Amino acid sequence: MSRATVELDFFGMEKANSSKSQFQKFIDRRRSFRGIQGAISKMNPELIKSVISSGSTNRSPVDWRKSFSVPSSPKEDRSSPVPSLPILNPALRASSEDSRETAPVTIFYNGTVSVFNVTRDKAESIFKLAVEGSSKNVESTDSLKVANPSRDQRNLLETRNGDLPIARNKSLQRFLEKRKER
Amino acid sequence: MEENDNKLQRTASFNSGMSDVVLGCVLSYVHDPRDRAAISLVCRRWYELDSSSRKHITIAFCYTTTTDRLRRRFPFLESLELKGKPRAAMFNLIPDDWGGYVTPWVREIAENFDCLRSLHFRRMIVRDSDLEVLARSRGRVLQALKLDKCSGFSTDGLFHIGSMCRQLRTLFLEESSIVERDGQWLHEIAMNNSVLETLNFYMTDLVQVSFEDLERIARNCCNLTSVKVSDCEILDLVGFFRTASVLEEFCGGSFNNEQSDRYNAVTFPPKLCRLGLTYMGSHEMPIVFPFASSLKRLDLLYALLNTEDHCLLIQRCPNLEVFETRNVIGDRGLEVLAQSCKKLKRLRIERGADEQGMGDEEGAVSHRGLTALAQGCLELEYIAIYVSDITNASLESVGTHSKNLCDFRLVLLDREERITDLPLDNGVRALLRGCEKLRRFALYLRPGGLTDVGLGYIGQYSPNVRWMLLGYVGGSDTGLLEFSKGCPSLQKLEMRGCCFSERALAHAALQLPSLRYLWVQGYKASSRSGRDLLAMARPFWNIELIPARRVVTTNQVGEAFVDEHPAHILAYYSLAGPRTDFPDTVIPLDPVL
Repeated sequence: MSRATVELDFFGMEKANSSKSQFQKFIDRRRSFRGIQGAISKMNPELIKSVISSGSTNRSPVDWRKSFSVPSSPKEDRSSPVPSLPILNPALRASSEDSRETAPVTIFYNGTVSVFNVTRDKAESIFKLAVEGSSKNVESTDSLKVANPSRDQRNLLETRNGDLPIARNKSLQRFLEKRKER
Repeated sequence: MEENDNKLQRTASFNSGMSDVVLGCVLSYVHDPRDRAAISLVCRRWYELDSSSRKHITIAFCYTTTTDRLRRRFPFLESLELKGKPRAAMFNLIPDDWGGYVTPWVREIAENFDCLRSLHFRRMIVRDSDLEVLARSRGRVLQALKLDKCSGFSTDGLFHIGSMCRQLRTLFLEESSIVERDGQWLHEIAMNNSVLETLNFYMTDLVQVSFEDLERIARNCCNLTSVKVSDCEILDLVGFFRTASVLEEFCGGSFNNEQSDRYNAVTFPPKLCRLGLTYMGSHEMPIVFPFASSLKRLDLLYALLNTEDHCLLIQRCPNLEVFETRNVIGDRGLEVLAQSCKKLKRLRIERGADEQGMGDEEGAVSHRGLTALAQGCLELEYIAIYVSDITNASLESVGTHSKNLCDFRLVLLDREERITDLPLDNGVRALLRGCEKLRRFALYLRPGGLTDVGLGYIGQYSPNVRWMLLGYVGGSDTGLLEFSKGCPSLQKLEMRGCCFSERALAHAALQLPSLRYLWVQGYKASSRSGRDLLAMARPFWNIELIPARRVVTTNQVGEAFVDEHPAHILAYYSLAGPRTDFPDTVIPLDPVL
């Protein structure tokens, strides 16, 4: 099994900054991975496992929550929001591997370490989840601070309403922020 | 066009029954735009008479028509209201540069609309240059200017208004984003205007205004009845309150000297009956008591009162007709409201802070409060409420008691895991069947909150509803398709967090007979290009996409947040063809491409 590393350019830095020096690119990548690691560390391991193991049944990314504006798999008329979680079985995975190469992904979560061998597709879907989970409280770029505690809470425990938190009226939002300063 | 002699004779005899003069007199009593629209369809003559005598036009969405068409049809317009950005802009969901520029309209007004005295722009982009053009061309006749939730201009633009629009009775700037350079604009008004009746810069960030200018305006303008200001220390306004002797409405201000006894010395004008005091706390609240019983309108949205305070204050306001506050009022406060305020017509309960330690924790409103409200306040016409819990029975209660209800909006907050009684199919049906006057309806729930059957009920039982906002309703495309078989009067539909496919959305848009405006955020996209939406392509129907974005917003204190915004669809009928002023964030869907 090859140990090819998967490099994913989340923030489009490759395209935007193709003229950047090698060193700069290295730093950028490291930053994005730090961000991803930070994000993955906030994710529920069961979810990650379900995404990974769904690859063993050869389906496209699992619709683990009502996904909005995300390409959906062909059999889309399921009414239940959460599919059943397939059990993670390394033996099964090994036998159903296709000819594509897999590489190890190491995940540190809540004091546990897990290592999975995944294909590139699977890795991308995990990272995508992580970015979506992390972008609500991004700390990988200097200019952004960690969001206030309640926003963290809301995003760690996935909201009942998936991607779309109830939007607040602009004036009221400003008032509530100003009130905190008084 | 009448080639048939018989037809001509009949028309002639019809006309001889009523001369233009008489018809004109009759028409002057007809104001409802839908009556006017019907009149204009009778025959060419009536159309022309309506065109020349129509005083006011509201263009509900500025991209549905052109300045040319407006001018050709209503050349003698006295009052115009224009709306731009989708309503979602009030919730920070629309890119700032989305569009809705007033410039072409201002240009047309400056050149051709000689009778225009009153202008209202809502959710539009206004530039200082627009304000200057307006002031120079119409300054002498302009009596009312409302820049309502607008953006793109500064106090420099307002300076022109202040110095050249000396006949202004109404200047309304509420919730606009205005760049503040100084307070000279208000000074200009103070020096030049003696007829001002309404001045409103509530919920703007204009803080360099001088209270001396406010006093000057109060002294000069003997008809000053409504003033709503930004954060301005109440103690500085003592002189203003003393001078504004006919003031009926005041909102805004600020209580920066907390716990001070000096507020006891503040006396309000004798006719004050509409009030809203920003940052007013428990300690300052008693200053309202002396005239609480004459209050018809109370705004506590930006006050710092807890549940107990609400109960104490509301008890003293038996004449309240319009009331707005946050959900810190609690069910207990709503029960007091139901007992004390029998004349209540409009109620808005907004969502308070989610975090701990902000004093709003006791604040949660549920089916308990809603039921008490429905049973106690039988005059209610408008209810907007953010609830933490809900039951079918409470909605049935509204259907049973609130017979005057025209506008009902319910949002189910997402903090509680368990809701007492879902789905709300039966309650919603009972409400819609009971409230026969309902024109506007919003229901924002969560997955499982309303089944496909319930969504079908909404379609079936809302014969007169013209506007709807639906969030997280239904369970599949079937629900939407059922829904779209009904709603005969639905003109404007907004949806958020749907599980519906593009194909179903397109089908629904084609089915709904009165639909002229559709906004959707959060749906099952079949591709990034919105291909399946093209199923609803038809003449005069513009389809636009705002693709998914990642937005960085900075709050008051400089903290930055990254928000993921899913894609929006906006589709609407237009006589103006596709837009020509798109920003990068908006993509038109052209069936030809």
